[in-house]
Amino acid sequence: MPPPAKIGLREVTKSYASRRVTVEAVGPLSVEVGEGEFVVLLGPSGCGKTTLLNLVAGFEPPTSGEVLVDGRPVTGPGPDRVMIFQEPALFPWLSVLDNVAFGLRQHAHLSAAERRAIAERHLEMVHLEGFAQAWVHELSGGMKQRAALARALAPGPRALLCDEPFGSLDALTRERLYAELQELHSTTRKTILFVTHNTREAACLADRVLVLTVRPARVKRVIPVDLPRPRDFYDARVSVLAGQILAELRSEMNQERGTTDDRDPADG
Amino acid sequence: MTETRQTVRNTLALLAFLLAALILWQAVTALRWLPSYAFPSPAQVVARLWELAVDGQLWPSVRASVIRMALGFVLSAVLGLLIGLAMGTSELVNSSLRSVFLGLQTLPSAAWVPISLLIFGLSDAAIYFVIIMSSTAAMAIATADGIAHIPPVFVRAARTLGTPPRAMSTRVVLPAALPGIVTGIKLGWTLGWHGVVSAELIKSSVGLGFLLHAGRELNDAAQVIGIMLVTIFLGLLLDRLLFAAVERRVRARWGFAPVAARA
Repeated sequence: MPPPAKIGLREVTKSYASRRVTVEAVGPLSVEVGEGEFVVLLGPSGCGKTTLLNLVAGFEPPTSGEVLVDGRPVTGPGPDRVMIFQEPALFPWLSVLDNVAFGLRQHAHLSAAERRAIAERHLEMVHLEGFAQAWVHELSGGMKQRAALARALAPGPRALLCDEPFGSLDALTRERLYAELQELHSTTRKTILFVTHNTREAACLADRVLVLTVRPARVKRVIPVDLPRPRDFYDARVSVLAGQILAELRSEMNQERGTTDDRDPADG
Repeated sequence: MTETRQTVRNTLALLAFLLAALILWQAVTALRWLPSYAFPSPAQVVARLWELAVDGQLWPSVRASVIRMALGFVLSAVLGLLIGLAMGTSELVNSSLRSVFLGLQTLPSAAWVPISLLIFGLSDAAIYFVIIMSSTAAMAIATADGIAHIPPVFVRAARTLGTPPRAMSTRVVLPAALPGIVTGIKLGWTLGWHGVVSAELIKSSVGLGFLLHAGRELNDAAQVIGIMLVTIFLGLLLDRLLFAAVERRVRARWGFAPVAARA
């Protein structure tokens, strides 16, 4: 298994210029994410956290500053850092198994049988081995997101970039996936960069929570989380921490109220 | 169980309707409002078709039309897919071609016949030209629209999973646009079928269009109506044979509701 990635953002800014206004979405912001670390980026809706993830994924270049993976600048998307989206984004024209095997097509050295075996192993990892031949629309919302997780893990990425992947699921499903994601993180030791606006989710999952400011996104506060794993979503210590994080987030939003307008919430 | 019962019921309803229409037709001709050479009875039409089949006129014409259609349609489908792909992936190509294609689509198939005769003369190339001009634009536009409606997150997911840009069309864009492409191809098939018959109507010594034309020359309305019915029947039959299975598979994969039962 490839070693986890080290992600670095150095003095990164991102702004979007339209004809009438320039929107500053990010920065300047500097973050170092260690190998195998689980970092949660937490901020109010529209604060630029998805933009931040897009920069690391290589979907867009930063306006200034550097995005580094293991010290090398990111030049585009790559299977060493796979992004998981809010919607599962599974391909309806492929079976669940072929979806999971999709990222393996680039691995020319693997035979078809080997690709299949790897995909099956990852389906088992997310407890979907019985659904290999199902079509995507036959899965429930939670199963779809688990299949998306298997698809992201199958090519052996060194980092996972998660953009509120559980945001549209019901509470019960979500809580089960928190447990599964923690288990995957402890067994595979991927570096994980996870975006959310849910403080309890942040407290439950993170090694470190970065509370972001209202746009342009900067790091307002770094909160290390030393609670033992696996953490239960309803653990009292998780609740206490989530309360502290929420207080931090509220103070940020109160400070900004009145000084920003509601124009163009470019991302969530 | 209930699904098959519903299918049976719908089929019976259709058969009853067709039977009623036939009876009405026969009854109206019995009133003799129009002379039988202009408005023949169903029995006369069937008798004329039978004659055409027996004396060996029908089959060569059916075969000629179907072969022309097959070749012309394959050419036009390949062209339509490629142009549609170019339109769907390049804003420049799309904005250049779309309005031209929409304009061309307003032309009836028959309007292509005179110019094709001027360019290609009395050759089969003239017929292929009419098929291609009748159906390519519709297929290109449907393909381009299918591509435009692909959720952007599919492309992003494929990119983050390491799909190289050169493989994007075949692995993501075309398969994701498949529902739109299937719609376009079915529409293209119908328009192409219009094109074959229109072209044969004016030039050709064999083909369904030729038999229509010959029927008019001979003041033989039974032949004209009979060939019209054969044209409808063949068009529907080939559509079902060629596309029903593909459409069913796409619907099963995407999880669309099945098409209401058709006979």
